[in-house]
Amino acid sequence: MVTESIIEDEHFKLLTFLIVSARGCVEEPPIYGPLRLIDAAEKLIALMDKMGKADESLREIMKTIHERKFSVMKDEAEFIKLLDELVLKISRIIKEAR
Amino acid sequence: MEPEELLNIIKGRRSVRSFLEKKIPDEHLKLIMEAGIWAPSGSNIQPWQFVLVREPELIRKIKLVSPGLFGNPDALVVACVDRNRYERAGKLGYTLSLMDVSMAAQNMMLMAYSLGIGSCPIASFSKLALKEILGLPDNFEPVLMISLGYPEKWPSPPERRPLSEVVYVDGYGKHYRG
Repeated sequence: MVTESIIEDEHFKLLTFLIVSARGCVEEPPIYGPLRLIDAAEKLIALMDKMGKADESLREIMKTIHERKFSVMKDEAEFIKLLDELVLKISRIIKEAR
Repeated sequence: MEPEELLNIIKGRRSVRSFLEKKIPDEHLKLIMEAGIWAPSGSNIQPWQFVLVREPELIRKIKLVSPGLFGNPDALVVACVDRNRYERAGKLGYTLSLMDVSMAAQNMMLMAYSLGIGSCPIASFSKLALKEILGLPDNFEPVLMISLGYPEKWPSPPERRPLSEVVYVDGYGKHYRG
């Protein structure tokens, strides 16, 4: 039986974020699209962590996003470098997976 | 007040995106709102309407439809322009109303900063969803949201384009040298 309010449900929070962000991206600065996506990635890892599905490498990605995502406001080149680093980190997880 | 004091307040304000769990006193929120309504407005139309949101559950709901709202602020100010008012300024009315509400928002954020309260102006939210959640009438258009709360930390300032680049003297071409 569901006892918690739907607005407290972590899946629902991510769902609304994705839908509202999709609409927002139609008019927002183009670079905000990548920002919304990695913000969603951070939220998804947090959700996986709560469900016991995130290991240290994923938590490290979450921490990296949390600490550096706002570089988009100050230094776009730094933000793009962050995206590349994240791709590399997730690629290593894929490579090492059995 | 010395001019330097005001400049320090203007320079010190930062966009804050992480907040402490600490309540803002009612009297401080009143000062912030009052600072807003003393902004200039074209033809003194005062096209703004503000919704001050303090209810935590309502803030959580608004956060769900506001991708640009980061952290957990103690309060939100939803700044709206009122069509019934800005139309009185003719074809320029809507544009002027955006300028007016922006000046009101800046007043609020400076007042907040002077009280040790962090703020962030936010335009990335769903107007449609916000109107539904807050039950706003058709003539109210939410155009800007300001998050308010005590900062976990004050962010470092981003670089500013220098005066010599953005200011011209007596026409285009002659750069300001101060």
